[in-house]
Amino acid sequence: MKQGILLAAAVFAFALPLSTRAQEQAATKEELQEVKDALQGVSESAAEYRGYVDALRKIKISGYLQPQWRLADVDLWPSTPSGSYPVINYPIGNFAGGAFPSATKNMFQVRRGRLKVVYDNVLTQFVLQVDAIQTGFTTKDAYLMVTEPWTKTFGLQMGIFNRPFGYEIAYSSSNRETPERARIYQTLFPGERELGGEIFVAPPTGPLSFLRLDLGVFNGSGPTANEYDNYKDVIGHLAAQIPLDGIGAALDLGVSGYFGGVRNATRNLYTMGTLSNGSLGYTVDTTATNLGAGVSRTYYGIDAQFYIDIPSIGGAILRGEYIVGKQPNASSTSTSPSAQVAGALYQREVSGYLIYYIQNIGDHEQIVVKYDSYDPNTKVGAGDFTSANTSGATGLTSTDIAFTTLGLGFVHHLDDNVKLMFYYEMVHNEKLTGITDVKSSLYQYADDARDNVFTFRVQYKF
Amino acid sequence: MKQLCIAVLAVAMLASTTVLGGGKITVKGSDTMVILAQRWAEKYMVAHPDVVIQVTGGGSGVGISALINGATDICNASRPMKPSEFDKLKQRYGTRGVEIKSALDGLSVYVNAECPVQELSLGQLRDIYTGKLTNWKDIGGPNAKIIMYGRENSSGTYVYFKDNVLMGDDYSSSVQSMPGTAAVVNAVAKDKAGIGYGGAAYGKGIRELKVKKDPSSPAYSPTLENIKSGNYPISRYLYMYVRNRPTGTLKEYIDWTLSEEGQKVVTEVGYFPIR
Repeated sequence: MKQGILLAAAVFAFALPLSTRAQEQAATKEELQEVKDALQGVSESAAEYRGYVDALRKIKISGYLQPQWRLADVDLWPSTPSGSYPVINYPIGNFAGGAFPSATKNMFQVRRGRLKVVYDNVLTQFVLQVDAIQTGFTTKDAYLMVTEPWTKTFGLQMGIFNRPFGYEIAYSSSNRETPERARIYQTLFPGERELGGEIFVAPPTGPLSFLRLDLGVFNGSGPTANEYDNYKDVIGHLAAQIPLDGIGAALDLGVSGYFGGVRNATRNLYTMGTLSNGSLGYTVDTTATNLGAGVSRTYYGIDAQFYIDIPSIGGAILRGEYIVGKQPNASSTSTSPSAQVAGALYQREVSGYLIYYIQNIGDHEQIVVKYDSYDPNTKVGAGDFTSANTSGATGLTSTDIAFTTLGLGFVHHLDDNVKLMFYYEMVHNEKLTGITDVKSSLYQYADDARDNVFTFRVQYKF
Repeated sequence: MKQLCIAVLAVAMLASTTVLGGGKITVKGSDTMVILAQRWAEKYMVAHPDVVIQVTGGGSGVGISALINGATDICNASRPMKPSEFDKLKQRYGTRGVEIKSALDGLSVYVNAECPVQELSLGQLRDIYTGKLTNWKDIGGPNAKIIMYGRENSSGTYVYFKDNVLMGDDYSSSVQSMPGTAAVVNAVAKDKAGIGYGGAAYGKGIRELKVKKDPSSPAYSPTLENIKSGNYPISRYLYMYVRNRPTGTLKEYIDWTLSEEGQKVVTEVGYFPIR
């Protein structure tokens, strides 16, 4: 009996800790399982959030703001024989960042206030860009882009986007070293963009990867207006990029073509010819079939950009473009029309060019020299304007005067986001020495009109 | 006003021609290269106490953006720059930048140490990471779902693997993004069904797979001989990019990284020297 009690006590004494340990182990196992479950939950949540984050990463938001102050080099209140308050007529017009209101020669403005949203799904993209400035909102870009998934060489773009012509159109205003594009681009391609569709061919790899072709069909009425005629315009640009790494340089070349038409709402079509008095002027073709016919709007362009690294100073850029073509519009303007021209059409032969030299100094400074020329009527020169051919429907107007602009600029990149630009443009018109009548509206062009403009701009980009 | 404006521009230009260069160098970019860059910087600063070198990672894409934005002197990248990135550099600085091949790397594929699979072809890797091949049993392993680990899309390793292994196809949405090679290695070491890719790594609990170009080719490990001979199919250069042809302190530092002493550091860190 005694032995049995002792044995039972021994078994109990031995089993009790075992039982406790087993309980502890079970509890630990349970806790471990809880931790594992919790970790699994966290992992699942993280995977779910990762999905959201990956989706959000496809949305890219960027933008830039360009507040600026401009000063026009004019006499604000020039004395007049009558003593009346004169309305200042700035020959510079809209070309230096928007027209100066009458009786103002300096002004602040927000030149551009862009916000761009891109949904980038690698081979497909949605792009929307708006411009918000003191005068309101406008849509700048609204397009989709699809690249085929097999070779990733061919793609389609449709909506409102940059016309595939030349270099300066597609070169973003936020990157450009001067406040505005050249006069010829502002005239022939106002707003830079257009409604239409294009295909692009851009081999990502292989021996042809240095080439890119953009070819599209567009309304031809600009980015902010609806189509007004049945004519569509074909625009194309072929570009080649040639690295010259051996000398620390690169050369990019391009050729462009624009083949379109503008509907004539009358049977009158004016082109340059010889007037009955022997002077150069517009002669009219009144053939009945001119009514409703498309008048050729055709441009050809070449562009080149040369980049070279200058040791100890910085990279230098030399850009040039030349454009020649035929431009139809009213007598009073050579700017591409965005709506049906109500009166007769005037078809002018135009040409122009632009040259940039940009010298980087270190990483933050740039010195800029730009020269551009626009001749809206290559058939006449400054000496052709006289009192004999500057009146009436067949007469030459200020629209036919050629302009050149020499710009000098300095750009300081404060940091990743902010840059300061100081830019002075000297605008020169053809001197119409044959215009001697002070009452003529062209008399202000008898000499070089005062219309130089200084711009100070601060840009914030993100 | 003309004279005044031109005078203002001239003064601004003169004021800009101040200090070009100095004794401070910033290095930013590839996470794959961050340890290498730090070792280079440490050794160089010991020998050149007047020079300060700041090294940060963030990924090749981040480094290239910083180079374009002027926020770094040297960009480290584990992939070559894209044409669109060269374009941005050209537009902003008037140069295509300078590309310096600074080391060789074999991109390793890791599995858990207990995984019986020894080798994979590029095609199999592509099928795994695009989500077409989902079970280890289809490639000689156990009946278990393949758990894929990869890098974030700002990483040059991510881009290189996508371009050269996935041949441009998109990654499967099931790939778990990790912030660096070490994180990939840790994840695979803890996950018997895991697979990952990254720079050379010798972590406990993982094993580097042999890789073959196609099913009929021999498989090779990412060793110096195999990478230099080109037999190992996923090897790459590690690059340094600068905006302009380097001069002064910057040139001296870059020249040193390419010297025998600098390339010795490459070997110490686990990559392969270029000469």
